[in-house]
Amino acid sequence: MPGDASTADAILKVANIESYYGPIMAIRGVSLEVPRGKIVTVLGANGAGKTTVLKTISGVLDPQKGSIELDGKPIERLNPDRIVRLGLSHVPEGREVFPFLTVAENLKMGAYLRHDRDGVAQDLERIYDYFPILKARLNQAAGHLSGGEQQMLSISRALMNRPKLLLLDEPSLGLSPLLVKEIFAIIRRINADEGVSILLVEQNAKMALEVADYGYVLEVGRIVMADACERLIKSHDVQEFYLGAKQSGARGERRWKKKKTWR
Amino acid sequence: MARAQTLTIGDTIAKSFVLAGEQRATRTALREKQFGIWKSVSWRQWLEKSKAIAYALDASGFRPGDVASILSNTKAEWVYADMGVLCAGGVACGIYPTDAAKQVEYLLVDSGSKVIFVEDDEQLDKVLMVRKRCPQLQAIVVDDMEGLSGFSDPMVTSLANFIARGQEHMAGREQLWQQMLDARRLEDLAVLVYTSGTTGPPKGAMHANKSVLAQMRHADVLFPITDDEERLLFLPLCHVAERIGGYYYSVATGSVMNFAESPETVPDNIREVQPTAFLAVPRIWEKFYSATMIALKDATRFEQWAYRTAIGIGYRMAEHRLAGTSPAPLLRLANMLAYWLVLRNVRKMLGVDRCRMLYTGAAPISPDLIKWYLALGLNMYEVYGQTENCGVATSMRPERIKLGTVGQSVPWGEVKISPAGEILLKGDFLLMGYLNKPERTAETIDQDGWLHTGDIGSLDAEGFLRVTDRMRDIIITAGGKNITPSEIENQLKFSPYISDAIVIGDRRPYLTCLVMIDQENVEKFAQDHSVPFTNYASLTRAKAVQDLIWGEIAKVNADLARVEGIKRFHLIEQQLTPEDEELTPTMKLKRAFVNQKYANEIDMMYRNREAA
Repeated sequence: MPGDASTADAILKVANIESYYGPIMAIRGVSLEVPRGKIVTVLGANGAGKTTVLKTISGVLDPQKGSIELDGKPIERLNPDRIVRLGLSHVPEGREVFPFLTVAENLKMGAYLRHDRDGVAQDLERIYDYFPILKARLNQAAGHLSGGEQQMLSISRALMNRPKLLLLDEPSLGLSPLLVKEIFAIIRRINADEGVSILLVEQNAKMALEVADYGYVLEVGRIVMADACERLIKSHDVQEFYLGAKQSGARGERRWKKKKTWR
Repeated sequence: MARAQTLTIGDTIAKSFVLAGEQRATRTALREKQFGIWKSVSWRQWLEKSKAIAYALDASGFRPGDVASILSNTKAEWVYADMGVLCAGGVACGIYPTDAAKQVEYLLVDSGSKVIFVEDDEQLDKVLMVRKRCPQLQAIVVDDMEGLSGFSDPMVTSLANFIARGQEHMAGREQLWQQMLDARRLEDLAVLVYTSGTTGPPKGAMHANKSVLAQMRHADVLFPITDDEERLLFLPLCHVAERIGGYYYSVATGSVMNFAESPETVPDNIREVQPTAFLAVPRIWEKFYSATMIALKDATRFEQWAYRTAIGIGYRMAEHRLAGTSPAPLLRLANMLAYWLVLRNVRKMLGVDRCRMLYTGAAPISPDLIKWYLALGLNMYEVYGQTENCGVATSMRPERIKLGTVGQSVPWGEVKISPAGEILLKGDFLLMGYLNKPERTAETIDQDGWLHTGDIGSLDAEGFLRVTDRMRDIIITAGGKNITPSEIENQLKFSPYISDAIVIGDRRPYLTCLVMIDQENVEKFAQDHSVPFTNYASLTRAKAVQDLIWGEIAKVNADLARVEGIKRFHLIEQQLTPEDEELTPTMKLKRAFVNQKYANEIDMMYRNREAA
């Protein structure tokens, strides 16, 4: 990982990016890497800058400073459509399906850049295999789907581009615990079966740490912790601030929080 | 126009306070920020609060001579409680809010505290955890009750209820007030100050009213005090520097005490308060300096040129000041322009533009740093003293600044050097002894009443004291060369990228050092130079950062004799907080502890030297 022995085979390398919303500096120098074929997660509280990191990577925002490499090519100055062509799909927060198009049309939109009809057909079959419910809803307007189904559609649409790297922004948002489990099981399957590398941003730290290989903790635009997930899970600060473990004090309860040290 | 201020001094600290409260009545005594707004408290209001606390203590069976501890950050309630205890004839003992429960237990037991004032639920938890092992403890008073509404315990009361109880107890007992105040005399124990204990368990220095008053009654001797003084209090009040220099001096002189919101907000608070005098530790002065240097790097070329020109003039003025010569009229004029056009902005940004005096003490400081403040046109005076002498023992005077020394002995004390080179102090300000440790007292104060400071130093012909180092810190290399680590360390700390450093080399072939980086500035450096890093540890491991620090060390090495050069270094990879045992509450690295904890890393620096 950056700073340590840098991984030789990284699909995504982000170094020192700084992003602004007008005068406000949202990302204050973030460096991270996604090794090929791995799932990497970025955890953080509201407003930590997680979504901004993803938007900066996919080109929706331009970084003021820093470099981003996708598979060895610099992409920090490219427009989003160019980046998508290079094999990066971004599943935005809140699903953002095209509500008035049918499920089938939404999926086609995902394959907009592709011309191999056979390949597209094969991929559609695979997607129906992951998400059988989508097949049943093929001709319904996407806006009429439930939240979980929309999330599935959003992920599927991104997969239709056959990405090398998938950016997932809070796939668990607003879903029931059972659905969250289901979605995460499929994320793991997609990663294992297709070899798609995944950068996952999550508030649901427990699920994210279970499914990912490597994790970063983001706080007010800076990375404060970076480690393998099995080690992150054991860290005291992650347990207290992200997994909700309560250390009980002498009174049997404890309201005050100890200072974060991130180690 | 500001007028000279008369001191309020009585026979005891408590009586001085009562005198101050009565004389200054409606004038502002202190200010605190509540929900973002500075609120004033008058001397009379403070007196009434502390009086009620004294009565409440009496009602809970607290008698003159009993000890009460205060476990809180620096805030108004600290001084309310402290004066309450002193007015009740008690002995007040401060505990660092960063101390762990185990240390709190040690201090409660060692001091035999009957009552403890705690800041909030966080501090309360520490006391609850250890109270069954503190048999003398009878009452716990909590200031901030947030989160404790559902909590009840026969031993625990809120400060508000405690004060109310005191007010009830007052009725019909008017004569008790004078009795409590008269219960203690000049020679009686008033204050316990625990030394931070870089080696061994903390020792409780016992100070009588006499030693505190010895300092208080001379608050205006070296520096004139006017009636419009403003101070900012932010160092821990359990430490003698803020307790005497910030707090008890203000009681004597009537300075308004402004309490910083927290240690992190000091730079903002000082800008808001614009104090007239500021006492700080070198760490803060270093921080101010490096903040200015970093801000300059982002400034335009013109601004950088303006600063360089102005500070250059300032440095020439400072040279005159140090040499005691008077500058040519042209230079004076240039300096006036430099001040109004440039340096005033720097001073305002730092918040010290109104400061008539800056004091630095409690740790060694680099002379170059003092010179910078002098070049800004500020009066920075280095003072030297210890917990054991209740504050200042030597001080620079406005008339004469001699860099590299800590000034001359204060007129109300004496300084001499023992044949072994140790600095010895004498005066009314000396401690009575260490609580429960007669053998340590005997080691420290000799039969003739001289305090052995444990510092090595020398006095020059004019009586200026030069402090070399702590006696036990002197390094003797394997080659037999005597080296004073603090001198090198101060030079290192002058770098904006180094927050603290510890030089190692006792009985070793060469010198090495452990470095704690300044996180903010090194992060900025990494960002500016596109050095990827994730967390603190990876920052310290980055090659560019290692090179940067080595460059800073090389600069210091260039000024040192060849044998003294630092050959290798190691960056501490863990971000340290005051809760960590490596740091003292004032964020200094503890030499002995660090030497032990990083033994492996230190050994590595002495292995396969060729790699260096």
